[in-house]
Amino acid sequence: MNYFVRRAGTALATLFAVATLIFLTLHLVPGDPAEVLMTSGGMAPSREAIDALRISLGLDRPLWDQYLAYLARITSGDLGTSFQDHASISAEIIRRLPRTVELIVSAAVASVLIGMPAGILAALRRGSFWDGLLSSLASLGLSLPIFVTGTLMILVFSQTLRLVPAGGYADFTEDPLKHVVYLAMPAISISVGLIPVVFRMTRTSILEFLEREWVRTARAKGLTERSVLLRHVVRNSLSPVITVLGLHIGTLLGGTVLVEYVFNWPGLSGMLVQAVEQRDYPAVQGIVLVICILFVLINMGVDLLYGLLDPRVRAR
Amino acid sequence: MSGNPILSVRNLTKYYGGSRSFFDKTIPPVRAVAGVNFDIAPGEVLGLVGESGSGKSTVGRTVLRLHEPSSGRIVFDGAEITRISASRMRALRREMQIIFQDPFGSLNPRSRVEQIIGEAVDLTGPRSREERRQRVVKMLEQVSLTQEHLRRFPHEFSGGQRQRLSIARALAAQPRFIVADEPVAALDVSIQAQIMNLIAHLQRETNVAMLFISHDLGLVKFIADRVMVMYLGRIVEMASVESLYRRPRHPYTRALLASAPVVDPRTARARPRVLLQGEPPSPADPPSGCAFRTRCPFVLEACASRVPTLREVSSGHSHACIRDDIAAAAAVAATASPVQPEGI
Amino acid sequence: MSKYSTQILAIGFLAVVIAVAILAPLLPIADPVAMDVLNRHAGFSARHWLGGDEFGRDTLSRIIFGARASLSVSMIAALLGGTVGVILGLIGGYFRGWLEILAMRPLDIILSFPPMLLALLTVALIGPGTETLTVLLAILFVPAYARVTYGEVLSVRTLEYVEAARALGHRSGRILFRTILPNVIGPILVQFSLVVASCILLESGLSFLGLGVVPPDSSWGVMIRGARPYMYQAPMQLVWPCVALILTIYSINRVCDLLRDRLDPKASVPTFQSPSRFRSLRNRPLRIDPPSIAEGKRLEVKDLVVEISTPGGVIRALDGVSLSVEPGQTVALVGESGSGKSMTGLAIMQLLPSRIGRIADGRVLYSPGDRDKAHTIDLSQVPAEKFRSYRGREIGMVFQEPMACLNPVYTIGFQLEEALLVQREMTRDCARRQAEEELRRVGIPDPARRLDEYPHQLSGGMRQRVAIAIALCGRPKLLIADEPTTALDVTVQAQILTLLDVIRKEQAIGMIFITHNLGVVAEVADRVVVMYCGQPVEQGTVDEIFYNPRHPYTRGLLASVPRDDESDDDSATQLISIPGAVPSPTALPPGCRFAPRCVHAVDDCNRGVPLIEAVNDGHEVRCIRWRDI
Repeated sequence: MNYFVRRAGTALATLFAVATLIFLTLHLVPGDPAEVLMTSGGMAPSREAIDALRISLGLDRPLWDQYLAYLARITSGDLGTSFQDHASISAEIIRRLPRTVELIVSAAVASVLIGMPAGILAALRRGSFWDGLLSSLASLGLSLPIFVTGTLMILVFSQTLRLVPAGGYADFTEDPLKHVVYLAMPAISISVGLIPVVFRMTRTSILEFLEREWVRTARAKGLTERSVLLRHVVRNSLSPVITVLGLHIGTLLGGTVLVEYVFNWPGLSGMLVQAVEQRDYPAVQGIVLVICILFVLINMGVDLLYGLLDPRVRAR
Repeated sequence: MSGNPILSVRNLTKYYGGSRSFFDKTIPPVRAVAGVNFDIAPGEVLGLVGESGSGKSTVGRTVLRLHEPSSGRIVFDGAEITRISASRMRALRREMQIIFQDPFGSLNPRSRVEQIIGEAVDLTGPRSREERRQRVVKMLEQVSLTQEHLRRFPHEFSGGQRQRLSIARALAAQPRFIVADEPVAALDVSIQAQIMNLIAHLQRETNVAMLFISHDLGLVKFIADRVMVMYLGRIVEMASVESLYRRPRHPYTRALLASAPVVDPRTARARPRVLLQGEPPSPADPPSGCAFRTRCPFVLEACASRVPTLREVSSGHSHACIRDDIAAAAAVAATASPVQPEGI
Repeated sequence: MSKYSTQILAIGFLAVVIAVAILAPLLPIADPVAMDVLNRHAGFSARHWLGGDEFGRDTLSRIIFGARASLSVSMIAALLGGTVGVILGLIGGYFRGWLEILAMRPLDIILSFPPMLLALLTVALIGPGTETLTVLLAILFVPAYARVTYGEVLSVRTLEYVEAARALGHRSGRILFRTILPNVIGPILVQFSLVVASCILLESGLSFLGLGVVPPDSSWGVMIRGARPYMYQAPMQLVWPCVALILTIYSINRVCDLLRDRLDPKASVPTFQSPSRFRSLRNRPLRIDPPSIAEGKRLEVKDLVVEISTPGGVIRALDGVSLSVEPGQTVALVGESGSGKSMTGLAIMQLLPSRIGRIADGRVLYSPGDRDKAHTIDLSQVPAEKFRSYRGREIGMVFQEPMACLNPVYTIGFQLEEALLVQREMTRDCARRQAEEELRRVGIPDPARRLDEYPHQLSGGMRQRVAIAIALCGRPKLLIADEPTTALDVTVQAQILTLLDVIRKEQAIGMIFITHNLGVVAEVADRVVVMYCGQPVEQGTVDEIFYNPRHPYTRGLLASVPRDDESDDDSATQLISIPGAVPSPTALPPGCRFAPRCVHAVDDCNRGVPLIEAVNDGHEVRCIRWRDI
């Protein structure tokens, strides 16, 4: 259990560091923070407007004072109000967050469900036509930028074949079928980049574990080839696959920004791009913080899973 | 064996690691070497025998200060080197060299033979390119390699040849003291003999003092003048080769000698196998008192309370055991079968 | 073939892209920012090879200048980040202590942001722009380099050649840059190619969002962004930059694979050049009736030939191995590395490396029972699925590395019960109780508690006991022990040898004991088979082999071991050694395989492999000169 407690402690420390860095970003940029915030679209803001903003955001107070206030604010769940419409940022994030999570989860699940069996197949039939084909497809998939996949899918499936709508969103409670149709294309375009990652890792680790001495021992016990494979090869290769998934979560979260933009998916990331375009700094700050929390939590989940899968990790 | 020792080690102790993590202070440091004393005379070969985890390799590396000792004193040629600065130590490196165990890890895979041995030659003073090359070739010839090998990379050699290169590199600096850390353990039997002959021959020729570390009692007997036996970071027995192999006194030494397989089926059948219970305790959590007491067939209550010191029992023969009675009995029954076997 | 041809194509393509990008301003192409609004979305023409975009700008020219933007941003960022990261990684990995913390810890903060988000956060404050983007990407990828370098340095710094450099008195700086850096540069170069690809992805992604390269400057991301709203009218304007982007990244990835194969083999993705060399040969003609096994034998191996397919061609790893084992007898297979002693064990057990190894000839006769003496099975003919039922129940096997032969993710109990369930068809509860009993049998104290422990919690000797328990729990009649004590200390070795001895006698198990240690042979063997280069060169009872050896190799082996017995303590100054080294299996001598190293060799020794001759009853030798020596 010690391992799990320690891992949670590390996650907490990381969250603290992330929150601090996000706070500091504004002050690390050269120039007066209030002026930086107002200088958007090449317009020169008036002195009075800058002063007003400085006071309203508390930028005139000492830095440590601002920092403590910031920490108190975010721990109570208040992320401030938008520059644009003065709406509560937290409320908007809560509304959109589940949609982004849904996208990530469905893409990750699809990638594992497709990537692992394909990797196992390729490893067992190594050197065969199927191995060659799957490996080439994986190389291609890894070379497709996520927004290119998305845009080309729209070009082919929506514009040319007119099979599915180019983008949008339908609430699951209102129209479950439509919801899944809208979800499919963005989830697939994320998976196109993620499946090869899972595939390659599965294939490599299966090939590696097949040569291990414990596999010989398992065969020498008289286990069926199927048991040897499932219990002593595939089971062991789960750990590296989980690890590589964990390493790609950052890319995955970055990918959702582009995918949500391409498919007009009203998630968190779409809101982020809009906020950046409008230079709505409080909103950007809030969303980045939430996505980072998500990132840290998923990473922790991956490590905990890793600990569950491998007793040696727990012992450390 | 007269005059001052070339190397003198006093109370050498080395701890490794321990947890540095903020959250977890529970991982204790590992005590690899605990208060080791010995001298090596110029031209002498001192054998160091022990099982894995006994700390024998650590001794080899700390006396050269490749690893920093935690405490104790190392005196080389009359001058203490335990605390001298890195730059002064560098100047002394030429005098003390090392031959490693792993013939595949001890040579830089990206360097050619000329560079590997040339770097050691450079330590003996500036030379012209041609002189340097001639010197390298001379070193190669000493270990039965030739000029053709100059431009090759380590991976082009067999295990035995690589070990020859290691030996050439160590000797090229013209040292006065060499640590040989299991130099033939990774080699096949037929190659082992070649390399052992080479080391013994060159040692006699150059009269270099040597600390020969091995787990193989036969090899140590072949090459060494004196032998130390280590168990869990401490020296339990030290004697001349003749004395130690004829009259081992410490229960551990005797068990070690008795459990080493002999290349003679009749002897193997005739002698009972002396079995020690269990395995060596972890150096991270050594037992109190005598480190060997958890496996010793002659253990007394007193063994747990204090660490036995190494004391001389006959000329040049010392051991660290409080029970003189078994040692004496062993001396009497030296030729007969020593100890009754224990259970499995 | 295909792998290398695509890699060559990829390198060629990248070279062209880079050259064109560098030379872009000098090329006779249209101005990439010159608008021609009247000719929006112009089609192909002599002037506009790829047509024009939504402002009538020349597409080809914009793609070329786009390459210039993408590649310069990515390359500069990758180099900048690489320099900083590699230095940090070298320092952190080599010096450890507080320098390690100072160099590596701050990077963890960058890593706790998804890269895209850190980029967006910065752009929100500073605004988009090429310089901002370059610096930002460089910072983002510092940790990647630092971690790779750090990990590599950690694994290299404890290697003996680094210690050797220190023993020669080299300074830290020299060791870092002259000894360590050349040995870790491979993975760093691989990382460089990965980072360039990632930078292009991020750059184009940000530009696509309108937050990277700012229009009117060209970039592939900017072009895709521009063409997207008009994809119905002018789909090709969308396709061209996409194709350029995909081909470039694909090529970089191929080059990355190539670098990995060449410079960092342990991380490379394995590919298989020669798939099924043996497929047509796999099933040799089935001989229905195996000859009966000799009276009183448990196992009789006759003229066994094993072939292994290697990149250098098919080699005969075993060539005419014959031996036999009686119930309760220990037969030692002794030889140096490459002698084929382990291969013999694996071949009997049908555990040869799949796809590359096969039994090409010979018989492995086995007699399972005492009831029906006539019953003989040729194990080499038994199909894989059927053979399974012999494993564990008829033949058990113990391997060398006690750490590696148990699966680290399962408890001892699970691995033992698993064997019991398949071999003895018992219920789970029953298997658990039996497992405890089996552990007790091999001398493991407190077996009930050990059942729930994992392999890493046990000492080497204990693990080997568990492996023996697993091998013996099906009550096999033959045990193949492949160097079972080599990884153990002598005091523990003695325990394991005694354990094997006791169990063998108790149950009259026939044992094949594979080892390179002649001392161990003298301790355990009844019979000895001396192997050299895939062939037995001499076999006989242990006394015959040790006291009356006839083959020059056996004699050499026995002489080369330093003795610690009392008889010869005149301290010989010279060990008797065998000159030369074992020949490579791809270049075996034509005649006697030992002839090149043999002091007794004559011309006749090189004319064909010598036949086996009988010295006396049960003592055989493969040497034409055994009478003279």
